[in-house]
Amino acid sequence: MYAWIAALINGILVGLVYGLAAIGLNLIWGVMKVINLSHGAFIALGMFCAYFIFHFAGINPFLAVILILIVGLILGMISYFIVLHRVLDAPELSTLLSTYSLSLIIIGLGTFIFTTNPRAIDIGLGSIGIGNIYIPITKILTGLFSILFTIVLYVFLYKTWTGKAIRAVSLNRAAAEFMGVNSTFILSLSFGIGVGLAMVAGCLIAAIFPFTILSGAVYELKSFVICVLGGLGSPIGALVGGLILGLLENICALKIPVGYIPFIEFVILVIILLVKPTGLITKR
Amino acid sequence: MTDNILEIESLESGYGEVQILWGINLHVQKSKLTTVIGSNGSGKTTLMKAIMGTLPTWNGKIIFEGIDISRLPPYKRAEQGLIMVPEGRLLFHDMSVYENLEMGAFTKRARAHLKKNLEFVFSLFPRLKERLDQKAGTMSGGERQMVAIGRGLMGSPKLLIFDEPSLGLAPKLVLEVFEAIEKLKKEGVTMLLVEQNVHLSLAISDYGYVMAEGKIKIEGEARDLKENDEVKKTYLGI
Ligand SMILES: Nc1ncnc2c1ncn2[C@@H]1O[C@H](COP(=O)(O)OP(=O)(O)OP(=O)(O)O)[C@@H](O)[C@H]1O
Ligand SMILES: [Mg+2]
Repeated sequence: MYAWIAALINGILVGLVYGLAAIGLNLIWGVMKVINLSHGAFIALGMFCAYFIFHFAGINPFLAVILILIVGLILGMISYFIVLHRVLDAPELSTLLSTYSLSLIIIGLGTFIFTTNPRAIDIGLGSIGIGNIYIPITKILTGLFSILFTIVLYVFLYKTWTGKAIRAVSLNRAAAEFMGVNSTFILSLSFGIGVGLAMVAGCLIAAIFPFTILSGAVYELKSFVICVLGGLGSPIGALVGGLILGLLENICALKIPVGYIPFIEFVILVIILLVKPTGLITKR
Repeated sequence: MTDNILEIESLESGYGEVQILWGINLHVQKSKLTTVIGSNGSGKTTLMKAIMGTLPTWNGKIIFEGIDISRLPPYKRAEQGLIMVPEGRLLFHDMSVYENLEMGAFTKRARAHLKKNLEFVFSLFPRLKERLDQKAGTMSGGERQMVAIGRGLMGSPKLLIFDEPSLGLAPKLVLEVFEAIEKLKKEGVTMLLVEQNVHLSLAISDYGYVMAEGKIKIEGEARDLKENDEVKKTYLGI
């Protein structure tokens, strides 16, 4: 019984950060119809930023997260101009290849510099116990921060001029340009936000799970499953998709060896794509 | 010093390698309604795209308020007050009517007049006021055209360009759109109107240009064009 409740709570908390990781992927797809294959690489980069900031400056990931968001935003905006801008209107294969090469460069350099040794951040905040269930405080903070970032993104997209311009560009780039929106800037900003959120998710995940430079790929796969669950192009759907995946993983882990879980996730991805390719949660 | 707000000189443009516009000369006077007519495929939309900057200027000049804007990207031209209600309306279909209007006032210049312009749009199209929260994509064709015109007005246009505003509308709604344009004319809004509906557009315009094969064939006061034999034969079917 306790095991089930613990799995439920863990599932929700971890699911929230999975959702946050997927939102970055989702936003970039929504605005510029690009599947960002460097998503996982940036998640891994976020993990390493958190690791080095913690070990060299003693700043814990929950404080470093703002700095990492800014770093991600800038890296993403620069990457947009180097990697995407010229191929944005070319057929999809070009943007897939260019974001994939970006991923290869990041992972390649990362492997060279950091090796593939596993690392972990232990801030030692302890656990909260309710009855026989112990939940690490880092996990609770991770969940709360994920909700916070999602809300901030939502408010930004729906209540600010720049956020509305991002939505307008995603709906009709030519029309937005006629309204006086600099669509090139908005596209690079959106890519920056997507990358920033990926790095933030990496930073938060690093606070609760061990990782290597290759871990990003695992979370990239999860992000794809979540986007398919929640429907590409809907941020709220991504959060819900994240919750479903988090719960599924933690509850499955009670009965099935953990090693099978990515396999199960992939099977879910394929089944949904076959049965309902538009995603489970879609508008209209 | 003339009171021309827009002066186009020997403009050449097109798509990729294909030249469509062959040396267009066109002037728009302040507070006047100028119309461009011509049959399908004569290059009217192409001309508007070149004016707005969606298509590059290959040769020639586009002078807006005395400054050559032919090298500026579309959003900078919008910032200068050159606003277009595009062919096919191009609304933000998944945004509410209010948000569409708000986006119309995106530029710093227009934001300062948001309240005043919104009142003006409501006085012109009272129906929009009741539909503010509706998704633009779920509105009828006529209502969508009202949103598109309203969105253009929200930009505090110094020159408002319409590309076929009556396209695809029922006759009654066509009249409504033309009535709205007439009202704007009375308010002193400077406009450039592209229309297939030659009868109606010549009836409300001050000055007109007739386009064919990417060139200006005839120009003159609208009332003279109505009497022009060639215009009568080719476009009015008389
Ligand atoms: N994207 C494009 N690529 C290549 N050629 C184009 C493109 N759009 C239009 N054309 C060509 O340019 C010419 C002028 O088209 P344009 O749309 O300007 O005509 P129009 O006068 O606006 O016609 P309509 O009254 O039907 O709107 C046509 O021959 C058309 O085939
Ligand atoms: Mg046209």
